[in-house]
Amino acid sequence: MAAVLQLSQVTKAYGALRALDGIDISLPDNAYISLLGPSGSGKTILLRVIAGFETPDSGSVLFKGERVEAVPPHRRNIGFVFQNFALFPHLSVAKNIAFGLENRELNPITDSTVVRARVKDIVALVGLTGLEDRGVTQISGGQRQRVALARTLITEPSLVLLDEPLGALDANLRTRMRAELRTIRERCGVTFLHVTGSETEALAMGDAVLVLDRGRIAQADDADTVYNQPRSASVARFLNCYNLFEGQLSNDEFVTSVGKFPLQGQKADARGQPAYAIRYDRISVRPLASPVTAEEVRLEGTFIADEYSGAAINSFFSLDDGRVIEVESHLSQAAPQTCVPHSRYALVWKRQNALVYA
Amino acid sequence: MAMTAATAEPVSADRPARKMADKTLWLLAPGVIWMVLFLVVPILMMVYVSFWTQTTFAITPTLTIKSWVTFFSSDTYLSALWTTIRIWLIVLAATLIIGYPAALFVGLFVRNKTLQTVLLVLCVIPFWTSFLIRVLAWRPMLGKEGAINLILQGVGLINKPIEVLLFSELSVIIGMTQIYCVFMVGPIAFMMGRIDQSVIEAAQDLGAGFWRIFRTIILPLSMPGVVVGAIFVSVMVLGEFATSAALSGRKVNLLGNIIVTQVGSLKWAFAAVAGVVLTILMGIVVAALLRVVDLRKEL
Amino acid sequence: MQASGTKLALGIYTTLFLVFLYGPMVVLAILSFQTGPEGGPQFPIIEWSTYWYKHLFGLTPPTRIAPLPIEEALVRSLLLAVMTMIVSTVLGVTSAQAFRKKFTGSGFAFYLIVLGMMVPGVLVGLGMALVANALGVDRHWWGTTFVLHVVYTYPFAFLVMLAILNRFDQNVEEASWSLGVSPVKTFRKVTFPLIFPGVLSAMLFAFTLSYDEFSRTLFASGRDLTLPLAIYGTFSVEVHPNVFAFGVLTTLFSFALLGTYAALMMLSIRRARRVAIQEEA
Repeated sequence: MAAVLQLSQVTKAYGALRALDGIDISLPDNAYISLLGPSGSGKTILLRVIAGFETPDSGSVLFKGERVEAVPPHRRNIGFVFQNFALFPHLSVAKNIAFGLENRELNPITDSTVVRARVKDIVALVGLTGLEDRGVTQISGGQRQRVALARTLITEPSLVLLDEPLGALDANLRTRMRAELRTIRERCGVTFLHVTGSETEALAMGDAVLVLDRGRIAQADDADTVYNQPRSASVARFLNCYNLFEGQLSNDEFVTSVGKFPLQGQKADARGQPAYAIRYDRISVRPLASPVTAEEVRLEGTFIADEYSGAAINSFFSLDDGRVIEVESHLSQAAPQTCVPHSRYALVWKRQNALVYA
Repeated sequence: MAMTAATAEPVSADRPARKMADKTLWLLAPGVIWMVLFLVVPILMMVYVSFWTQTTFAITPTLTIKSWVTFFSSDTYLSALWTTIRIWLIVLAATLIIGYPAALFVGLFVRNKTLQTVLLVLCVIPFWTSFLIRVLAWRPMLGKEGAINLILQGVGLINKPIEVLLFSELSVIIGMTQIYCVFMVGPIAFMMGRIDQSVIEAAQDLGAGFWRIFRTIILPLSMPGVVVGAIFVSVMVLGEFATSAALSGRKVNLLGNIIVTQVGSLKWAFAAVAGVVLTILMGIVVAALLRVVDLRKEL
Repeated sequence: MQASGTKLALGIYTTLFLVFLYGPMVVLAILSFQTGPEGGPQFPIIEWSTYWYKHLFGLTPPTRIAPLPIEEALVRSLLLAVMTMIVSTVLGVTSAQAFRKKFTGSGFAFYLIVLGMMVPGVLVGLGMALVANALGVDRHWWGTTFVLHVVYTYPFAFLVMLAILNRFDQNVEEASWSLGVSPVKTFRKVTFPLIFPGVLSAMLFAFTLSYDEFSRTLFASGRDLTLPLAIYGTFSVEVHPNVFAFGVLTTLFSFALLGTYAALMMLSIRRARRVAIQEEA
């Protein structure tokens, strides 16, 4: 697949803060890419560098094979959807959408019948039919989101950057818009780079997921790989579904403050602190007395509380050093152990399910 | 999925960065140049000319401190300096005393936003009348046969018109107070409006009386407004000459009036000295006021 | 605030305060209807008449009281105010635009600009006259006076625009760029329409301040008087009710200006709200 965008060794610093610290990425054509990063990881700055709103201190940005670091935003043909949508408040829905076509520097369309036809098509695509003459302050958040998208898509960019596009919507609408964004993108056949701080959103939407950590790309893989094999402890932490233990690796054992975890040969090289990670839903809760097999790891903890979330129950146990461990039990599987608060239980997982970073 | 690292030689990006700075420069340059040429240069010129030699009808650029000596050894000029300071202090106090309660009412007691706006607009409306006309309007008010004397006589409070009302220092003070009062009311009312009503309600719940609340909460919180107002009023009063020309019948001479008369008789160097003295006085006053409250922290 | 007694007292006080602010103008307006030419600028009103208004426009038989030399002065003042308004608004918008990016020396530039509204007119006026003398340049209302008016009004325009641009969402401009629209066109089609109410306020400020400006004008203008100078000229001579009548008229003119501003403001707000249906290009 041809790469639509290639960044190499892009850095950008604000004083002593290295917001982007040598970013290397390559985005394929016609794909949905999510960019996951916690707040402060530099994800918005990365998008702004790609769009041309910020200039990188060093490194190169290749868009469709051409260097664009010195090209101003309006000559890049890269779409941008803002978190606050940034619609033109003085224009109607239709005028907002037609704005780029009519006013762009390169090849503006002056024939109003053509513009109207194009607007009509795109309005139908994003599902805004009937709202064309409304003011953009008179429509709902979800509709504004669609206007922002339509306004960008109508100019047929080869790449659309979306900066937390669902962040301003309520939870219900967010889930619905996820599916719609994917459908709309497939129909247009362009690449979407979707920045988000939500791991579920990143995993659900992206054909591929880029994880950004303190100005560096920590992992670039498909969603499944990111979820099951986070490349580093910090990626595992962002995913919000791993219990992490810090410690030291020594002879097929990972030594932590709560005990020694025997390994089964697995080990991933990673920068940063050595860590041992076990996914919430890989842990099972058993009575203290129940036996443990040779390939299992066992830990004791005191039950604190649980949280019911429909398809699963998340239970919290405190270990001897005060640390809290989270266990997720899917209700579709066997009925989970009912736990009594302040009682001790055995927390057990298979050795090969753990991930080790050292 | 092509997720390989792209390779291209790193590039220094300082060219576009400088372009952005250029844009700022171009946007800023016209205004800054204008101010330097037509504000800074004239003021510097004034300082320079104050050291020129004054002859009867002309000035020559031979440097001397004669004009300065003349200024500080002349009773006329010195008394003008004292009059300026005196009138400034009195007007400053008067605008504060008269304006503060009004600002207190508008900013804090009027809770209805619309009414608050209406009251503030009412205070500002007189500004759309010519300044000179507003000054002149005091003549039929204060004169011997003016409205105030007529009313006081009609009520029977006095049986002879008060003559000192017009063409005196008092009339200048009254006129200036009325004209500049609003510059005190505005900033104070603005600061009052920012006081969180719940703080005052909490104090009331704790049993604090009005005076206590006023002393401990309202007064300190409105201080930045007072300082801003004082700066406005001071700068304007110190540079005044029209009000005293119109209402004092030439009895009150401020530094501003000295400058006007000196220019009228082509004594440019003396005018320049008076101007520099006024500038220094104003600089001291504004600097002192800014010491009281750190404006940048408050606004 | 609860304390209803205090509130009542302060309410009454504020009313008196407004009377203090408006009293002289009201008295002036009443006296402008004094009979003429024998009626003087004081009470009592001998007979109500519009004599002095007619006198202003030269509609009365000539008397020993010379008509105010306002006609040409008015034209000059209006022209000067318009020139000042245009230049200071343009300067105000461009410099405020520059202040949207942080740059070294921004504090210095800010104070330099704001200084223009703080320095008393006598001082700049005197300084300008000295500079003009030294350079051998003639002083004219359209030259030396005009540049000083801009020095005075440009800071106001600048501050108004700064306040407006502070609240302006920069993303809206960036969105326009990312749609392929050049920065210049973006400014015309997006930024300017959105900051227009601010520009209007800046223009109003600049116009009224210049129209009424007097102390700078006094030293910096040559022989040709502007309106405030014409009024100032009456200070030293005997005042007749024609000056009062003139005061009433200028006040009405200012209110008309204010009304126009309010109407334009309303229109631009409504246009923004009602969207651009009929604006189809």
